[in-house]
Amino acid sequence: MTSSIIHCQQLTHVYSGKAALANVSFELDAGEPVGLVGPNGAGKTTLLSILSGILRPTSGTVRLFGQPPGATQLIGKVAALPQVARLDPSFTIIEQLIFYARLQGFTRTQAALEAGRVLEEVSLTEGTHEKPPALSHGMAKRVAIAQTLIGKPALVLLDEPTAGLDPVNVRTVRAIITERSPATTFIISSHDLAELDRLCKHILLLENAVLQPQTIGLNEEQAGTRFITLQMETGPAREVIAELQVLEGVLQVTNPQKNELVVAYDPNLQPQMDLQLMQCLNSHHWQYRQLTHGKTLEEKLFFHD
Amino acid sequence: MHPGFFSHILLISQFELKRSFATRSGLLSIVTFAVVWCVILFYPLRFSAELLMQEKGLMPGFSFVGAIGFGSIQQWPIPEFGLFWHFALLIFPLLSIMLAADQTCSDRERGTLRFIVARSSRDRVFFGRFVGVIVIQTLLISATASSTLALVLYRDAALFSSALPDLLVVTVNLILAVLPFTAMMAALSATVKSARQATVWAILIWIFLAGIIGGFAYYLPTLGFLKLLVPGYQLSALAQLSGWQTLQLAYVPLLQSLILLALGRWIMARQPL
Repeated sequence: MTSSIIHCQQLTHVYSGKAALANVSFELDAGEPVGLVGPNGAGKTTLLSILSGILRPTSGTVRLFGQPPGATQLIGKVAALPQVARLDPSFTIIEQLIFYARLQGFTRTQAALEAGRVLEEVSLTEGTHEKPPALSHGMAKRVAIAQTLIGKPALVLLDEPTAGLDPVNVRTVRAIITERSPATTFIISSHDLAELDRLCKHILLLENAVLQPQTIGLNEEQAGTRFITLQMETGPAREVIAELQVLEGVLQVTNPQKNELVVAYDPNLQPQMDLQLMQCLNSHHWQYRQLTHGKTLEEKLFFHD
Repeated sequence: MHPGFFSHILLISQFELKRSFATRSGLLSIVTFAVVWCVILFYPLRFSAELLMQEKGLMPGFSFVGAIGFGSIQQWPIPEFGLFWHFALLIFPLLSIMLAADQTCSDRERGTLRFIVARSSRDRVFFGRFVGVIVIQTLLISATASSTLALVLYRDAALFSSALPDLLVVTVNLILAVLPFTAMMAALSATVKSARQATVWAILIWIFLAGIIGGFAYYLPTLGFLKLLVPGYQLSALAQLSGWQTLQLAYVPLLQSLILLALGRWIMARQPL
């Protein structure tokens, strides 16, 4: 049984006469991570700020677990990584995380253990007795992610969690999200579509302050047509397209970017299209880098017909 | 089960105490205050007390202190406490404006409040910080009053039993006196971007509020009651009182604090973090 953890109704927020969010309505159930995407200024941070209770909407209603954002009933249940937030420069990292854990109801001893645990989870075992100004951008980001993991939150709102992180730490964050899902529902705002493609089954697309309705449940295959995305290493695009176009079951081959082909096919006519494509490439000695079932998130969101 | 309102107030105010007494910048401020206070205690306060002692009985019917407008000091049986009372009524409200200016503003600008409010509430942070700053000022007031007591006992140890009530009177009254200033700074801190802005606004608002209300009250005496809205309004009247009489005006700072805290809470609830 699923339960609605977020309920937004006609949510509008206006900054200096300009709508940052316009009549946004949606419901989300607990479960797999949800991606929040959109161009700069689309309203992603505004939406997450309203959900985490740091901004009041101009109009509309929001409920998290049936409570308004910022309600004390949500303490320990909802955690957030704001896009812009720094720790207090007067105290060490560990002191502040212990304080946060204590606010969430941990005893002094438990809070110390919990603070150590979450820092370890984001691979920060050194420098925990440093003050925030001594940390690099990446380390500060990891500490900010660590504070969202205190306790067992049921909902974590992450605004640009991997921005500014090196690939190793991006992988750590990804592992944390994968490990904690679906017990914890993550809402992740990011411009890294490849990352969201890996993590999220559902995407919310905000454009010009408006939530695009067709984007929820994007990864579900459309009935009748399926897609394969092919990253080519070598091979003349025009010839490859011509060869693929005539294969059994292929409906359309497009070339959205250099060395990238999207093959639309009918699975009823050719259920093993991936195998057929590889055999075709092999027979022409064309090298491919990657073959992926489905379109890339970028294709689905911004270049769909 | 997460902590209730008062547990959070306790935790947040304890953290503020830690900021003042266990961080480098906090300790530096405390040491600076201690040095300034020692200078006041050992020079103006001690010498003035000695002067008052010498003056007693020197010229019956004439008092130099009374002639310069500080005659109420003579109503205090122990002159050190009379002088402390006058010095403290000037110093602590000013100190309060500086000490309480950064209750929430820099944390809000930095985004730190976002981390705290996510596991507490705006009300709890607002009142927790207010309580923390009040406790810090209570400790400073108690320390300065105790040092004055030590000065009295150094002069005459037999005065202990008569000095103790004076110690309590000045401590209680000074805590009451700084309450509205701290509440005013809590409200301003919830609005502005930095401690410096809060201090500047506090001075401007205080001057204009006192000036405008004073002007109104001059031409329309029925509006005189509006003076009650100015923090520190009672201080000049308070300086003329001594002993437990000083509590006669306790309702003024309490009323002002309640109004300013309600205003600050309203601002805090609406301010984007």
